[in-house]
Amino acid sequence: MNEILWYSSRATGIASIVLLTAVLALGMVTSGRRRTQGDRATVVMALHRWLSLGMLTFLLAHIATAVAETYVSIDLVSALVPFTSGYATVWVGLGTLACDLLLAIGVTSWFRPRIKEPTWKAVHLLSYAMWPIAVVHGLALGTSGEPVLRGITVLCGAVGLGFAGWRVVTSHQDRDRREAVLAQEWS
Amino acid sequence: MTILDGLAAAGLTGRGGAAFRTAIKVRAAHHNGADLIVNACDGEVGAAKDGWVVAHHLDELVRGAALVTPGRRQTVRYAAHRGSGTEQRLRAAGVDVLGAPARYVSSEETSLISLAHDGLARPMTKRAPFVFGGVDSRGRRIRPTVVLNAETLWRVAQIADHGPEWFRSVGTPDEPGPRLVTITGHVSAPGVVETSAGVSLADLLDSAGGLAPQATSILVGGLGGAFLTAGEARGAVWSGPGLAAYGAYLGPGVIEVIDPSSCPLAVVDRMLSYAAGESAGQCGPCMFGLPAIAADWHELTTRPSHEVLTRLRDRLGVVSGRGACHFPDGVARFAASALRVFGPHLDLHVTGSCSRARRLEHVPAR
Amino acid sequence: MSQPVEPVEPVEPVRAAGLGRSSAGSRIAIDRVACTGHGICARILPDDIGLDEWGYPILRRPGGSTVSERDATVAVKLCPARALFRA
Repeated sequence: MNEILWYSSRATGIASIVLLTAVLALGMVTSGRRRTQGDRATVVMALHRWLSLGMLTFLLAHIATAVAETYVSIDLVSALVPFTSGYATVWVGLGTLACDLLLAIGVTSWFRPRIKEPTWKAVHLLSYAMWPIAVVHGLALGTSGEPVLRGITVLCGAVGLGFAGWRVVTSHQDRDRREAVLAQEWS
Repeated sequence: MTILDGLAAAGLTGRGGAAFRTAIKVRAAHHNGADLIVNACDGEVGAAKDGWVVAHHLDELVRGAALVTPGRRQTVRYAAHRGSGTEQRLRAAGVDVLGAPARYVSSEETSLISLAHDGLARPMTKRAPFVFGGVDSRGRRIRPTVVLNAETLWRVAQIADHGPEWFRSVGTPDEPGPRLVTITGHVSAPGVVETSAGVSLADLLDSAGGLAPQATSILVGGLGGAFLTAGEARGAVWSGPGLAAYGAYLGPGVIEVIDPSSCPLAVVDRMLSYAAGESAGQCGPCMFGLPAIAADWHELTTRPSHEVLTRLRDRLGVVSGRGACHFPDGVARFAASALRVFGPHLDLHVTGSCSRARRLEHVPAR
Repeated sequence: MSQPVEPVEPVEPVRAAGLGRSSAGSRIAIDRVACTGHGICARILPDDIGLDEWGYPILRRPGGSTVSERDATVAVKLCPARALFRA
């Protein structure tokens, strides 16, 4: 039983990082690009939201199995409070930290209509910190001795970095025009 | 009689351009303990009447402002363009001045409210009137604030002093009371005159020296207004219904007589180019539509074609009512009226027989 | 927001910058400053919202429509810029 939990934890962990990377990529496409025609914007946006829910399911299973299995010492507290686990304090702690950030992102997104937009945006931008922390957590903990898992995680890292690089350099006319006008005298 | 009753009986409407019933605005201001911003910016192209009120009737203006803000905690700020003579006069008088950048949309009501709350002088989305308070685009709280034109507040004081019957003794039943008009451009005696609704436009222009026989067109309402041919101007009545026939409004009371020696298409070209550069850059239809319209007009006057004309007309129909403020609506109205009035002149450009057309080539398109 | 003591007319025609009806009694409005032209609303409510040549929404029928309440909710929720709201 314990072994099943251990393997399930790593499997759901890999699933989580893959889905997280996809969700981030989709989010970057939404913010980085505008098309005047077609369904793409709608599909991307819907997938971004839908996959994030799917990812949360796998993430919950990942945390639950990691806490439940007794091979290593990770208790419920350390699943919420970073850097408090007995086992691999730093690496598990990074996972917990990423999860806490994700919690903030998720909650603010759920309550977006009720909170100030700049607040929502600032928390949502924490994804760019949360994702690399999750990737490092995955590389350090879940992939040693498993070249396939390591390969998948590294691929997620590369894809995420690629999208982030594109996102930094890309622009579209709406943003360009707003920035250009904002630079003029308005006060 | 309270001031609210007086304003309601007098039927005073805003003199800044929107012509909203002042009694309702002031009643809401009282109920909500709203702060007041006096708009003395003369934001419309060619306008000078707000500065005239500040220069000649500042005491009454201040009294009018006090009547709108009877509460101890209600503040009054006087808005004027930075560096203007009006701003200097207000500062010298020791009132609280809100210096606005000299941008076309910065004197718009919500722009001034934003500026007064340490934001930029750009229009805000208005989900409800700001007399009730609200939030800006960043979610920052906006205190209940009302903006009234300088001339409107002068009239408030006058109504308190002389009564609503005095106010209604001039003008029409629907548009009562004296109103200022700035007459500028190709006239011998440009300046600010006091008139009222219902007078003939010809008489009104006479007080500035008259409409010269060689005049070809006038512009009523500046960049947000409409053109009339000289012939139409000679027969028109200065009133809402009288001007509506030409797509024009009383608005902020600005009349510019266009210099007959300049190519009118170049005049419009310059103003549309200016308009394109004055977008606040917040709403897509404005920040892309206005430059496109300016480019279309420029192309229409240098290389006219049915295709460009159709494209321009379509765009004019699409920018109105789709921004946070009325700026693109005004520009669309302005350009559409230019097409109406200067359509025949466009034909001269098609055949190459406008003697002033060569100047257009040197006007940079945005 | 404080409310007036007695019924007061809107101080000016409220510029929610375009009001459209999206089901019995429910109106969709667009915050024109927040809108950055994603165009998702036009795909979800094609009968109510079209796009201009630059990708910004045009309210087709300010007077009324037959689109479902559910579609309106989805459109409001999916707007990345939070520019669609119920008025």
